Amino acid sequence: MIWGVVQFPGSCDERDALHACTLASGEARLIWHEDRDLGAVDGVVVPGGFSYGDYLRAGAVARFSPAMEAVAELAAAGGPVLGICNGFQVLCEAGLLPGALLRNENLRFVCRQVELEALRGLSTAGGGQGTERLSIPAKHGEGRYYAPEETLDELEAGGQIAFRYAPGQNPNGSLRDIAGVTNEAGNVLGLMPHPEHAVDPLTGSTDGLRVFKSLERFSS
Amino acid sequence: MVELEAEDPERLGELCEKLLANPLIEDYEIQTL
Repeated sequence: MIWGVVQFPGSCDERDALHACTLASGEARLIWHEDRDLGAVDGVVVPGGFSYGDYLRAGAVARFSPAMEAVAELAAAGGPVLGICNGFQVLCEAGLLPGALLRNENLRFVCRQVELEALRGLSTAGGGQGTERLSIPAKHGEGRYYAPEETLDELEAGGQIAFRYAPGQNPNGSLRDIAGVTNEAGNVLGLMPHPEHAVDPLTGSTDGLRVFKSLERFSS
Repeated sequence: MVELEAEDPERLGELCEKLLANPLIEDYEIQTL
């Protein structure tokens, strides 16, 4: 599988995402934000950082980039799309995922390792059964997941809440401890913590690789 | 607050809905100066 990693002005995690994708799936390449053609990639990562300086709102400008038009087409075709941190914000602004990310409850930037629960499982590569635990870093100032209560109920019922912060681990006040959600089809995933920073034993965890691997099932 | 010169003030509402505000989390008010 070949991953594409979108690079916006202000992205800062695209190199780590490239490395993680390569480790997880074999090959990855950068996609410049002005490129309307994604090339021969099977899936896309929208990485973390501060796209377009976070002007207006985080992700508000990036959603209009030519590359994001192509990402929306890939998502509609069922291809895997992973938005991490700022990428999660971009996908929400683009309407590819429900909800929004607000300033952290304590109004402070948070940077620490967090424990997550993957609600549908990851290792079975099919959105399997049972809850799995992951340890990966979070670093953000605007990571408080918000959606109206009725939307949250729909997400719960539809199995679209892919990741929760483990009990006592919620670093930002996200509603219902939500750390990551998917679209209805499951091929678009937004995650606030950073799996691309947890791919090497040197940094304490390789759990992030499981997140990338779990999306391979959507590649054609 | 966002100040801008609009060629077509009739479209300010659309501009707010699509770009300047996220109606899910933000309210907005248009003031013409």
